[in-house]
Amino acid sequence: MSVTTIGAGRTARRRRLNGWDALVFAALCGFVLLWLAPFVSVVFTSLRSRADLAMNGVYSLPQGIVLENFVRAWDVGGFGTYFGNSLLVTLTKVPLGIAVAALAAYPLAKLRFRFDTPVFIFFLIGLAIPIHVALVPLFTTMRQIGWLNSLPSLYPPYIAFGLPFQILVLRGFFDQIPDEVVSAARVDGASEFEIFWRIVLPLSLPVLATLFIIDALHTWNELLIALVMLSSERLRTVPLGLLNFQGQYSSDFTLFNAGILIAILPILLLYITMQRYVVSGLTAGALKE
Amino acid sequence: MLHGREHAAGPARVPERAAVRAPARVLPLAKARRVATPWLFMLPALLIYLGFLVYPVVSSLALSLLRWDGLSADRAFVGLGNYQEILFNDPVARIALRNNIVWMVATVLIPTALGLLLAVALNQKLPGRNFFRSAIYAPGVLPLVAVGLIWSWLYNPTFGLVNQVLEWVGLGRFASGWLGSPETALGAVIVTGIWQRTGFPMLLYLAGLQAIPNEQYEAARIDGAGRWETFRAITLPWLRPMHVIVVALGVIEAVKVFDLIYSMTNGGPAWSTQTLATWMYFNMFQYFNIGYGSALAWVIAVISIAFAIPYIRSMVRR
Repeated sequence: MSVTTIGAGRTARRRRLNGWDALVFAALCGFVLLWLAPFVSVVFTSLRSRADLAMNGVYSLPQGIVLENFVRAWDVGGFGTYFGNSLLVTLTKVPLGIAVAALAAYPLAKLRFRFDTPVFIFFLIGLAIPIHVALVPLFTTMRQIGWLNSLPSLYPPYIAFGLPFQILVLRGFFDQIPDEVVSAARVDGASEFEIFWRIVLPLSLPVLATLFIIDALHTWNELLIALVMLSSERLRTVPLGLLNFQGQYSSDFTLFNAGILIAILPILLLYITMQRYVVSGLTAGALKE
Repeated sequence: MLHGREHAAGPARVPERAAVRAPARVLPLAKARRVATPWLFMLPALLIYLGFLVYPVVSSLALSLLRWDGLSADRAFVGLGNYQEILFNDPVARIALRNNIVWMVATVLIPTALGLLLAVALNQKLPGRNFFRSAIYAPGVLPLVAVGLIWSWLYNPTFGLVNQVLEWVGLGRFASGWLGSPETALGAVIVTGIWQRTGFPMLLYLAGLQAIPNEQYEAARIDGAGRWETFRAITLPWLRPMHVIVVALGVIEAVKVFDLIYSMTNGGPAWSTQTLATWMYFNMFQYFNIGYGSALAWVIAVISIAFAIPYIRSMVRR
């Protein structure tokens, strides 16, 4: 990686010899090297045997590549369960939440009705409220309806606290779909739901994808609600599983780092392959464009 | 289910449109349907929002006025007593408030400045700039718990990268157990927070830089403006709306900080890294001071709301 970038840098510098650019480029190379050092540290530790670590420390090339740490970390850490839970929650809750938000955003953008502005503002207020204030009552509610310590207990709070942002973004997007498109369909006798389902949603695929990426990342990484709601080992999501793994194995250094790497590798690979969408999604989300 | 109901509404549209021309013949059913339609669309969202956001929020405001362990019948109304306790009497809450302020200043200012610098550098046509961008943002996609664990390892007294680097550059005498000592623990977690957060302002500023018209820079070049003058006279003013967003989002994140503290120090050693959110969590779910914990949560909420309002207004105005 560093070889190719340096090579590319050299040709560019030959193309347009600019001292300032070269300086900036060199500074960036140094900075990024420093920035990625934590990852290097984790990889180097996880590939060693315990004896190798004790003899040579972390910051030399490993004596030999030892994959046994990963096998053991996977077994004792229970990462299969954590991935399964996080994947299940993310893949079902995210589309469900966005569907609920889209249904609500459609009349707010395309139908005139009494109280439309107050309802919109009512939804927006939630954008300012941190989930912290809701923890105890949510816990009590879930205990009352018997959902405590089950994966479904995550869905209502996640969806409720995702709605304000998603409604804001979707309403903004639906607003830009020309009214003529909608009224033409109405004249043709389409019901409002058909207009929503067959016309508005298909036109909104880019923004739906953006919301999907943002929400999937948030859901996958969420700790606080999961920590409060779930106590069984078999229900742990990835962040909860990692905490537990730390509690048990943080002094078995090579195993510990292998576990960290297992936990972050899928999301890093996904990020690397889809980075254009992730980056534009996150930026567009924060700026609502 | 909703689909079926809406579908049945289809044929009723015909008399409804006729009704526009002859208002006298408005069918009550069609009118009821038109009034009900928006509410049917919003029904699932309203139910979930009311049940799992509005109700808990209001209910926790009421809880914050009580002294209660969450289970027993012994609950006492103490008015604003819990808030008074937080602001004036509880030494841990004082540490937490101070830590939140330090955390906020450091993790807003440094990532914002660094992000701006990186964005300006990476806005030029440099080789490998896409690689640089994605490398710098990479920590931002990870679960905060994973980030916390990675840095716990970097701070390991024997094997950690931090002490190793100090030794390499001849400062080995400063090596220490960073997370284990009350003097350095907060700073150590803050550095982790900066690593995790810097990519986001960079991305936002890069988006902001795209919006600056090239003619602005060309005009500056013709006027013979230097790099620094161009940056100050054109780049910074054009990025002003972005500053609002970056700072507001940064402050809102900072006041809620929980995951990194919880996974790296658990508030210790000796309460030195407690923040409002961790102290709130301890009170709610370990000491069962439900009222007190709820009051702490509301302190977080009030700060967060104060900074969220300008951000929301800027989003809605677009």
